[in-house]
Amino acid sequence: MNPAVRRRAARRSGPIGFVIESVVMGWRWLVRMRTALLLLGILALMTAVATAVPQYPNVPGTVEAWLAGDQGPGTTVSQALLWIGAFDVYGSTLFLMLLFALFLSLTACLIPRIRAWLRLVRWSQPPLARHRPDEVPDVVDEDPDVVLDRAERVLRAAHWRVRRPEAGEAPPQVAAERGLWSREGGSLVFHLSFYVLLIAIVAGQLLTFEGQRGVIEGEPGFADTEMSYWSYRPGRWFTSDDHAGWRLDLEAFTVDWIRDPTAPGAGQPTEFRSRVAVTPVDGEPFTAEVAGNEPLVVDGRKIHQLDWGYAPYLEVVVDGEVVHAAFITTVAGDDGIFRGAVKAPAAEPDVGLAVELYPYAPDGDDGIPRLTGAPWADAPVIVYEQWRGDLQLGATQQLVTELDTTALTSQGWGFLRPGQDVTIDDVTLRFVELKRWVGFQVSHRPQIPWLLGGSALLVAGLIPALYASRRRLWVTAVRDPETGRTLVHVFGRAFQRPEAFAVERARMRAAVLDRS
Amino acid sequence: MVTDLAALSRVLYSPTTIALYFAAAFTLLYALTMSVGRHDQQRRGELARRVGGGLAVAGITTHVAHEITRGIAQQRLPLGNMFEVTSLMALVGVVAGLSYLTWIRRRGDLNGFVLLLGGLLMAFAGLLYAEPGPLMPILDTWWRPFHVSLLVTAMGIFAAGFVFNALFLLRDTAELSVAGARTATTRGSTVGAASIEDLDDIDAALEGDDDRVHDVAYRAALRAGVPAGRLAVGTFVGASTVSWVFLTSAPDTASGLARFFSINLALVAAALLARWLVPFVPSTVTLDGLAHRTIAFAFILWTVGTIAGAMWAEQSWGRFWGWDPKETGAFLTWVAYAGYLHARATRGIKGRPAAWIGIGAFVVMMGTYLIANYVIVGLHSYAGL
Ligand code: HEM
Repeated sequence: MNPAVRRRAARRSGPIGFVIESVVMGWRWLVRMRTALLLLGILALMTAVATAVPQYPNVPGTVEAWLAGDQGPGTTVSQALLWIGAFDVYGSTLFLMLLFALFLSLTACLIPRIRAWLRLVRWSQPPLARHRPDEVPDVVDEDPDVVLDRAERVLRAAHWRVRRPEAGEAPPQVAAERGLWSREGGSLVFHLSFYVLLIAIVAGQLLTFEGQRGVIEGEPGFADTEMSYWSYRPGRWFTSDDHAGWRLDLEAFTVDWIRDPTAPGAGQPTEFRSRVAVTPVDGEPFTAEVAGNEPLVVDGRKIHQLDWGYAPYLEVVVDGEVVHAAFITTVAGDDGIFRGAVKAPAAEPDVGLAVELYPYAPDGDDGIPRLTGAPWADAPVIVYEQWRGDLQLGATQQLVTELDTTALTSQGWGFLRPGQDVTIDDVTLRFVELKRWVGFQVSHRPQIPWLLGGSALLVAGLIPALYASRRRLWVTAVRDPETGRTLVHVFGRAFQRPEAFAVERARMRAAVLDRS
Repeated sequence: MVTDLAALSRVLYSPTTIALYFAAAFTLLYALTMSVGRHDQQRRGELARRVGGGLAVAGITTHVAHEITRGIAQQRLPLGNMFEVTSLMALVGVVAGLSYLTWIRRRGDLNGFVLLLGGLLMAFAGLLYAEPGPLMPILDTWWRPFHVSLLVTAMGIFAAGFVFNALFLLRDTAELSVAGARTATTRGSTVGAASIEDLDDIDAALEGDDDRVHDVAYRAALRAGVPAGRLAVGTFVGASTVSWVFLTSAPDTASGLARFFSINLALVAAALLARWLVPFVPSTVTLDGLAHRTIAFAFILWTVGTIAGAMWAEQSWGRFWGWDPKETGAFLTWVAYAGYLHARATRGIKGRPAAWIGIGAFVVMMGTYLIANYVIVGLHSYAGL
């Protein structure tokens, strides 16, 4: 009696049995290739949604506009989208669940594949040919054993797995196989690299840190500490002790454009570069350059130059008392105008200034500045509107560069050039000087080497997974009893890429017959 | 001098290269139809093949000359805006497709389809035309040509894979319907034959034992197996899944409609031409294999190119991945083509369903490419430059 190949587990009944059966069924479902395909399809669908619907982490403003009904398909649809989490697809529970299912399916699929692969590499022998093919043989005068020995040498030299049958086991032959483990092995490395990438991404989320801070040229900069960033995004496991503590000052900043309005690409920036002085906690201070594509690395922190703007120094005096004296940062809008705001709650009532800065506004014949959209500061002017009342600081959400004018009344507006001042009622406004500020991003991403390693594995696995092909080749040689000459067959079969194999087989045949 | 070069590069692009590609495509497709049949036909076919080959080489030469003059005129690699990317995608698709078919697969008879694709892509690039100009400094590093050229190469090769998948589906549909019609008529049933118009003629012809009559009838039957009306409507609707972008992004409704219809109708014309040629294309096994090999190769390039893009983003913007529309599009395309590769390795799905997934993946690639440049403006957008 043949032993059972595999004993079936005794069927259980009752609730525990039901659970076990369900798990087994679920696992079987997960292992299927169709399931992987389905999950990949859902992943594609969710990504497509994220392409079509604005994503909160990328463009919060657009999402708000959709929800308010100012843009997009209307509030009803937007509410439905919000409800299903379509505004933050990659942060949604659904996406996490999909990712989990994908990895579960991948695991379910890979475990048996890895076991089978190891078995294959360790034990597999090329199968022997039972029959010679129905093809016209090559006829040679050498002894069959000479031909077969040469075939074995040639095949081994070309890294084939080779097998010669024991006497009487099969007709005299050399059986060979190749690409047996590289294709499947490559595919396994490729799929396994997803785990490296996943772990790196998750660990990165926890350990990373990213902060942004603007620095005015020639003015005191900032130190790498928790408190000095304007926006601060640490991972959950990043603590304030992990900061490097060095100090960064902006010595000089260069920016330029194609100024000739008739030149091709007129108005495009051509240069964008900062010279910074860095003072490590213990060590010599040094200067370095940061430019668009050239971040600076200090103590494992990457410093990028992200944006820049003009920084006018504005002084506001109310009844002889200075209520504001500082640089304000202005940010360029899509229309090329630099906008900023002064908020002076020290005055009674509050003073607010909405500031628009036009870098290039030469005087016209009538002495009034001609506003242009050009970004170079050859004739800067600010257009201000003065407001008084309640700034509502702390009461409403506000941007640094914008006033909330709901509780303010306008006191009038005007132009001001550097060095000029103006008095409206009891408020004196002075435009002292114009400098520029640069926005730096400081980031710490320990996951990057791991991501690079995972990507390298991914590509290294993908190439054999798609290019290696598994193929078998047999060489038989027998003496023709009638003529006494030797009949040689070189034949085989490719599991993938048959057209490439046809060429290879022709080459091997020539080598086996020593005709190359 | 520089403006002269710019003008020269423009003429080299349009009409020269476009016209040469289309002329080569039609000559070679004509040669394909002459490759079967009587001796004197075959001689004419051979002549057409030579002429078409010469036209193709001329077209590639003017195309390369266009890229070089444009590059010199603007003092940078012509990879900076959508026109340049599309034009280079066409060049890569044509050169890689012709080389692969001619020298590796030895199926040079199919070259006409690749050139047809090249001509269509070049004409399409005209919709995106921008005068030569300098590049934004943030885009100006060696990462850029590395990342962009990999992705553009992959796009060109994916496009060739799309052609093979489309031809596969056409040929498969034709063969299935001929096989279906044969069994239907022998059983004396009209079910399934209803969709084939002049089946009686074919059957009459099939009776005859003259080989040539038989061939002609078989060809007609194959052609009739693909209903022209459904193919045209299907192509129009399928093309609309991408070309609607031009309706929303054009400066005015009239030009948007003009672009929309010119793209759709050009593709419908190409589909009908391919239908007419369906008897002359190789077997479904060959076409399916061609599609798989081209897409597998492009998939590797796409993978490496996307990783390079992430590395560049980390260098340049200080984050390696931000789900910006373009990054999302690259990822989506990657997943879609992974879906195709999986489908083709899955029993029960390989064949027609897999080919449809391949077609869908190409739609995803072109759609995300246009959407990310025209509809949603992100860090990556350079359409207007
Ligand atoms: C998450 C994204 C995935 C990607 C991008 C991906 C990609 C690939 C690629 C490119 C191949 C090679 C196809 C070929 O040999 O022609 C492949 C093969 C394979 N994948 Fe995946 N895969 C993914 C997930 C999965 C999952 C979740 C499973 C498990 C169910 C899976 C199971 C397989 C299997 C069984 C093969 C072998 C096909 C063959 O023998 O040709 N994959 N995969």
